[in-house]
Amino acid sequence: MSIAQVSNHHFLIRRVHSLLGLVPIGFFLTFHLFLNLTALRGAKQYDLVINTMQSFPGIFIVELIVIFIPIAAHAIYGTWVVYTGQTNVLRYKYARNWFYLIQRISGLYTFVFVITHVYLLRFGEANFANLSEFMSQPLGLSFYVLGVLLAVFHFTNGLWAFAITWGLTVGPHSQRVWLYTLGVIFVLMSVIGMADIFAFLK
Amino acid sequence: MSEQKTIRLKIRRQDGPNKPFRWEEFEIPYREKLNVISCLMEIQKNPITASGVKTTPVVWECNCLEEVCGACTMNINGQGKQACSALIDQLEQPIVLEPLTKFPIVRDLMIDRQIMFDHLKTVHAWIPIDGTYNLGSGPRMAEVKRQWAYELSKCMTCGCCMEACPQVNPRSKFIGPSAISQVRLFNAHPTGEMNKHERLSALLNEGGIADCGNSQNCVRACPKEIPLTTSLADLNRETNKFAINRWLRK
Ligand code: HEM
Ligand code: SF4
Ligand code: SF4
Ligand code: FES
Repeated sequence: MSIAQVSNHHFLIRRVHSLLGLVPIGFFLTFHLFLNLTALRGAKQYDLVINTMQSFPGIFIVELIVIFIPIAAHAIYGTWVVYTGQTNVLRYKYARNWFYLIQRISGLYTFVFVITHVYLLRFGEANFANLSEFMSQPLGLSFYVLGVLLAVFHFTNGLWAFAITWGLTVGPHSQRVWLYTLGVIFVLMSVIGMADIFAFLK
Repeated sequence: MSEQKTIRLKIRRQDGPNKPFRWEEFEIPYREKLNVISCLMEIQKNPITASGVKTTPVVWECNCLEEVCGACTMNINGQGKQACSALIDQLEQPIVLEPLTKFPIVRDLMIDRQIMFDHLKTVHAWIPIDGTYNLGSGPRMAEVKRQWAYELSKCMTCGCCMEACPQVNPRSKFIGPSAISQVRLFNAHPTGEMNKHERLSALLNEGGIADCGNSQNCVRACPKEIPLTTSLADLNRETNKFAINRWLRK
């Protein structure tokens, strides 16, 4: 078929990439941060919740389809998107230009973070003691703090772009109002994320 | 403080495409209210560098001298600007002049902006009105629409937005915000609207609207204050509707 026909896939891929950032990845991130608050109630409660979750029938298939594949797809294509950009923050020092760059850095960091995080827990042992031990080292703790903050930034700043990608916030005023709203959401989600981490520190 | 006596310029020189570049500094007598073009003309009269070495006159382009043609666009102290409207009294010295980096260089400060015109062709940025018979007058445009559409029509294809856009670079096929904004202009026109599908369809291709990364540099770099990011968001909405609709009717 004609070239135009084939390359229209480009638009579809970019829109799917955008959508995946919110559904399911963004929803999962939010749910995940809330769920881990149970760690505040102590090791026993936490391990109970995790065990219950992991004993659901077919949980692996569900996780694969709803979490792993979407994140892998978004991350791999996202890495390509990073490659096609060329930052110029040193010449054009606008806040939004910095956000463009941090969106990309946070995406790449989150990629590394998620792989490590999953490797440690899914293929190691997912329990309170294991996490607690990892976070008791300064390096492990900073790795987690940065991972949570950057993932939350990537998600909230991503939602700002998402609203433009889908043509929801068209003018500068609505974009600004949405920016401030997301600023509040960023702070709230970061606080929850920090509380999660705090729960594992003794 | 004594009055400034000279103007110092640092210019990136290159004799042609694929030739090595060098920096040359010039010092010319200060006069009030000069712009970058008048300094370049001064250098042309007497092409001797600040250290007294004879050199070739600096090559640049200009045309309208009133910031409407875009031909004189170059990097002035690191930012894409029109040399004809860049006033010396408002610039930090030495004034660093470089050619735009997103276009093939011709010589010194002169670059070839052809790709921008090619992109206008790609997105069908015109209104087809030729026929074998008189088609008569077209429908009228609502005044409120005309007002915002007029703003978009001020684009002079200068390339400042391309220069500022992180998504326009050798690794990407992105056509940049100016051609995309022209789609909004021509789709707003009551006669142009009849070929809306061709323009929206062109935007779905690789290098089209989906390649924007929302850094919003373009809208700040545009000397004509064209609401480029509003055009981008508006066309995101239009292309989404168009693509979904077309697929559903397939
Ligand atoms: C915690 C997991 C993640 C979440 C919640 C998430 C969410 C999002 C959202 C909502 C967007 C906005 C989409 C849009 O512009 O319309 C986005 C964009 C983006 N994401 Fe992610 N993402 C995640 C992980 C990643 C990873 C691991 C990468 C890998 C590098 C990545 C790279 C990108 C890039 C480059 C963009 C910008 C796309 C563009 O501007 O066109 N993301 N993400
Ligand atoms: S908003 Fe889009 S088009 Fe404008 S400078 Fe940023 S990436 Fe380029
Ligand atoms: S949109 Fe503005 S910056 Fe871009 S080419 Fe047109 S006039 Fe120049
Ligand atoms: S000469 Fe036309 S814009 Fe400067």
